[in-house]
Amino acid sequence: MQRNRLVPYSFLLPYLAVFVLFWAWPILYSFYLSFLDTRGFPWSLQPGVNWGRILSDPFFRQALRNTLLILLVQVPIMLTLATGLAVGLNSPLLKLRGFYRFAFFAPVVVGAVAYSAVFRLLFNTQNGAVNVALTGLGLPRVDWLNAPVPALVLIILTVTWRWTGYNAIIILAGLQNVPGELYEAAKIDGANPWQQFWGITLPLLRPILLFALVLSVIGTLQLFTEPFLITGGGPGNATLTLGVYLYQQGFRSFNFGYASAIGYAIALLAVLFSLIQLRLFGRDA
Amino acid sequence: MKRTLATATLLAGTLLGAASAQDAPSGAITVTAWDIAAEALEALVPGFNEQYPDVQVTVENLGNQQVFDRGLAGCAAGGADLPDVYAVENNEAEVFWNRFPDCFLDLTALGADELRDDFPDFKWTELTVGERVYAIPWDSGPVVTFYRRDLYEEAGINPDEIETWDDFIEAGQALDEATGAKMLWFDFSDDGVWRQLANQNGCFYFDPEGTEVTVNQPGCVDAMETMKALYDAGIVAIVDWNGAIQEIRNGTLAGAVFGAWYVGTIQSNAPDQEGNWGVYEMPASEPGGVRAANLGGSALAIPASSQNPEAAMAFIRYALATTEGQVSMLRNQGLVPSYLPALEDPYVQEPVPYWGDQPIWQDILATLGEIPQARGTQYFQEARQIVTNTLSQYLTQNAYEDAQAAMDDAAQQISAAVGLPIAGQ
Repeated sequence: MQRNRLVPYSFLLPYLAVFVLFWAWPILYSFYLSFLDTRGFPWSLQPGVNWGRILSDPFFRQALRNTLLILLVQVPIMLTLATGLAVGLNSPLLKLRGFYRFAFFAPVVVGAVAYSAVFRLLFNTQNGAVNVALTGLGLPRVDWLNAPVPALVLIILTVTWRWTGYNAIIILAGLQNVPGELYEAAKIDGANPWQQFWGITLPLLRPILLFALVLSVIGTLQLFTEPFLITGGGPGNATLTLGVYLYQQGFRSFNFGYASAIGYAIALLAVLFSLIQLRLFGRDA
Repeated sequence: MKRTLATATLLAGTLLGAASAQDAPSGAITVTAWDIAAEALEALVPGFNEQYPDVQVTVENLGNQQVFDRGLAGCAAGGADLPDVYAVENNEAEVFWNRFPDCFLDLTALGADELRDDFPDFKWTELTVGERVYAIPWDSGPVVTFYRRDLYEEAGINPDEIETWDDFIEAGQALDEATGAKMLWFDFSDDGVWRQLANQNGCFYFDPEGTEVTVNQPGCVDAMETMKALYDAGIVAIVDWNGAIQEIRNGTLAGAVFGAWYVGTIQSNAPDQEGNWGVYEMPASEPGGVRAANLGGSALAIPASSQNPEAAMAFIRYALATTEGQVSMLRNQGLVPSYLPALEDPYVQEPVPYWGDQPIWQDILATLGEIPQARGTQYFQEARQIVTNTLSQYLTQNAYEDAQAAMDDAAQQISAAVGLPIAGQ
């Protein structure tokens, strides 16, 4: 009897060992690190150093501002696009549906380093395809990589390009769970497609949209790859995100204590935002 | 049985023989450096192989920041994935020795002591900790003004009459009116130009002992004021490294104020402008002031994880501590030797056709003795990031009342970031 009880645990043991070693332990250890002064050797326990600095650090504020700005602009645009795409991909009128699904999902599969390099070329001020197209249309050149506002716009564009298809596929899965009878009933009642979308599709998609929203918000809070590879956080600190700042503190300045504090700040923000979203859009609380 | 014993004895004898110092090193080594520095080392491999035919050298050419990031990551991982020879910028070097004292070999055991007097003291400062020598000096970056002779002529500017930054700004406005070209460039992702001006004034982020923040001392504030004056006068092109190259090619950029390694960049990117370029001393802050500074300059170190430190050291010695190696890099890549015997080489006095037959190396090296001391310290990266940010805030967004307020704020931030006190407080 007793031995039987151990069976499930022994099955879980390999996973649990890995989880403790590579997840639980680093999470606890970095919490401890965030209270150490690691600006030089030897390290010493000084709880106020990192947490006090977060509150008054202009770089952290700038990184937070940039991250929230990207979040507020990019996530709504992306989810709106993704919902539109999903409805389109779900349409029985569409030929080659499988091909389109693959095509929109493809950006996620592409190596981040490779696509960042391509985007750097595309948006090069002098000879990039985008500026050549703009000047061809008689519009002025945009200094994508070296001017603050365009650089931030570029990051929003690339992240949107990369993740829209991914979210569209998630939403599409949700759409396929909406029973067809509902639409038939609506048609009999004389609802046009637009009314069907607002009256049936969107309300029934709510849990899936919430899921996509929470995931996107957490992902954007941790945004690192695109600003690091495409703009390096620059020009100035125009595209410095919390993720890039964490990396700089941890692996360029080797200030692990402060990097850990930044990591915890990001995690706290993620929890806070998720709670707000669940409260606002979740099952009526 | 007997035969095995004999073989073993024979084998042991051979091994003993191999261990005696007379034998040349052999095996494969990897060298990691960036851009033109990597090209320079790559070009030395055939000459090195004439002396050491049994060593295979592979040079990896990565971006400057990637080399640094990878080195730190490798040290943090206990020496994983590091090459046998690692290039490091002097200013950035101390973070390695401080945080990872055992990541790189102490080169005294490999003969670094014999090289002490062959390099100027200012190059050793950042490469040694107590008795340990972590890297061998490579090049230095004496700062000069680069200029397009033909465009200056067109605007009626005589470079001999430019003594101070005020003169320089005046000339720049004349140049802008006559040709539309800019005098120099900087970008807001680095503070290199500011560092040159601060160094010229004998000021830097920290004091030479690395114990106090000195970024708001008069010399550094003056450097910031000069940057602002240059920017406001509209004589600066705001571009990144590659953008500057583009503008040089287009002829819309008539010069730069930079370390001498920029010679190679101009030559290799604008071959059709041969004869149209020249150099003159950097302008001074005040009449009769210092007209010299240093920007950049590197060294080569050997990670402790190297399987073949003897071969690595042989390569470093050939590249950095022979006149042949250093003059080859000067001639082909424009890297300024800090190896003192190389400065005696006749090549240094030669007129260079690309530069309008000006003996540029003689003119550039003449400033070496004037360069004030500046030390990066282990906090170089933090300070650089903060000053870079302050610079763009002050110049482009007028975020501060004046340069003193900007530098006071930068000093506060640096002090908070690294935990050192601000000088004089």
